[in-house]
Amino acid sequence: MSDITTSVPVPVEAIEDAPPIRGERKKPLSGSVIAAMGLVVLLGLWEGAVRVLHLPPYILPAPEAVVRALWSGLAVNPASQLGYYLPLWGTFRNAAIGFIVGSMLGLTIGSLMAESRFIEKLIMPYAFALQSLPKVAIAPLVVIWFGFGDGSKIAIAALLAFFPVLINSFTGLRATEPEKIDLMRSLSASRFETYRIVKLPNAAPFIFAGLDMAVVYALLGTIVAEFLGAQQGMGVVITQAQSVTDVAGVFAALVILGVLGVVLHGLVRRVEHRVVHWSRQSGH
Amino acid sequence: MSNPIASTLERARPPAASAPSLIEMRRVGKTYHTASGGTVRALQGVDLSIEPGEFVCVVGPSGCGKSTLLRMLAGLDSCDEGTLSLEGRRIAGSSSEVGVVFQAANLLPWLTVRENVRLPLRVGGRHDKIDGRIDALLSMAGLADFGMRYPYELSGGMQQRAGICRALARDPRILLMDEPFGALDALTRERMNSELQRIWQTSGKTVLLITHSISEAIFLGDRVIVMSARPGRVLRDLPVPIPRPRSFDTIVSHPAYAGLAREIRGLLNAQGELE
Repeated sequence: MSDITTSVPVPVEAIEDAPPIRGERKKPLSGSVIAAMGLVVLLGLWEGAVRVLHLPPYILPAPEAVVRALWSGLAVNPASQLGYYLPLWGTFRNAAIGFIVGSMLGLTIGSLMAESRFIEKLIMPYAFALQSLPKVAIAPLVVIWFGFGDGSKIAIAALLAFFPVLINSFTGLRATEPEKIDLMRSLSASRFETYRIVKLPNAAPFIFAGLDMAVVYALLGTIVAEFLGAQQGMGVVITQAQSVTDVAGVFAALVILGVLGVVLHGLVRRVEHRVVHWSRQSGH
Repeated sequence: MSNPIASTLERARPPAASAPSLIEMRRVGKTYHTASGGTVRALQGVDLSIEPGEFVCVVGPSGCGKSTLLRMLAGLDSCDEGTLSLEGRRIAGSSSEVGVVFQAANLLPWLTVRENVRLPLRVGGRHDKIDGRIDALLSMAGLADFGMRYPYELSGGMQQRAGICRALARDPRILLMDEPFGALDALTRERMNSELQRIWQTSGKTVLLITHSISEAIFLGDRVIVMSARPGRVLRDLPVPIPRPRSFDTIVSHPAYAGLAREIRGLLNAQGELE
């Protein structure tokens, strides 16, 4: 047959779908089992170091002391000022509000920059200048402006959450494939329709990567603001424990913050999984 | 121009007094400016008219500007020489009379197949509520049971069928197809060609299809337009005198087939590279 298309090669999937040639292998350990093993090893080394090196508890307390400190913070009436619950709630709330405010601003300004070369040129150099500045160094200034209350915590959390979302949404929106833009143009779609129907969903994996960073930065910003002065929060719990050299108490608070960070990260990932459902399967 | 091709073109042109065709291209040219400051002449002096209900296939060496031609008809690119008109009106931007089928389907992965096909009814200031039309299109393309699936759950052929449905959603008069089946394997491609012939015959659309495949062009086209290498011109406008409905089983044994295929191949080979 005089057909130049007959030279089309066999689809590659047919080969990839074949079962592996290697024989039966042991089931690999699940990720959480390996992580738990890591924790056990770490705790063992820690306990061993404290015993062998005779470290005093004000330098490095034994794991067991940290667990006791944790327990004393957790096994209380949730409404008590002595436990972790009220400070944790305060820190979480301020970090969450700052995260939402910062991300929204980042997405909005990132979108404007992606849509308009003029706005991009207007803002981009300053955005990068501000980004390369250690933003934690601005924190004292923010405290002067917003006071020692929740305002300064939210402001610093928002400031830190803003940049990763700004850069990622800008990059993601600009990364839209030209064919998809052509499709919308061929349908005489308005600029906003193209943004809402094509560019924004297309940028969603980028934006979520930014949000993932932003949520951790927001928590960091809140804690730093609390160090500078606050009535309540996990930052206050840490500074109070530090002031009486309760190192075990500091460690316990750090464990709580670590867990909070992991939970927030997990929440973002879960929402991402829901929203960006197509990305997993189509291998974007 | 004093070359023999130009005289062929003159003969191919319809008399000036006739009513305007559905699609008219007169002396169309396009020059691109490269980043390094140079210029690339993509198209030069393209003359082509297409009548309502015609199926026209365009073949040509790669880079001959045939995609540019299609983009200009779709209103995605402007021409800088000559005129392009649709029903006698100059083309200035996209039109709802034109549906575009892109290479490799170009579906939006975050929308279901149904939502993808309905997209043209949602945008461009239209908010049509005619969902019955979408269902009819999906069942015509054999996708009735796949409306709620996502594009990644469909095979390449099914994705492109959804792409054709999307292009038909606004019931345009003209369907522009830019190598729509290039990414498919040979067998699926033949099946899609038969499907497209059936859709075209039932819908009565005017189709302009760009392809690299000579057999596809002969199978589908009422006419096969052979273009030259860059700058692209119309080398030959070949009518395909094979009755419809055509099938791949019988078309190769039709007396006109081998001659046409040989002629097109000869023209393309004379232009150098052939993909």
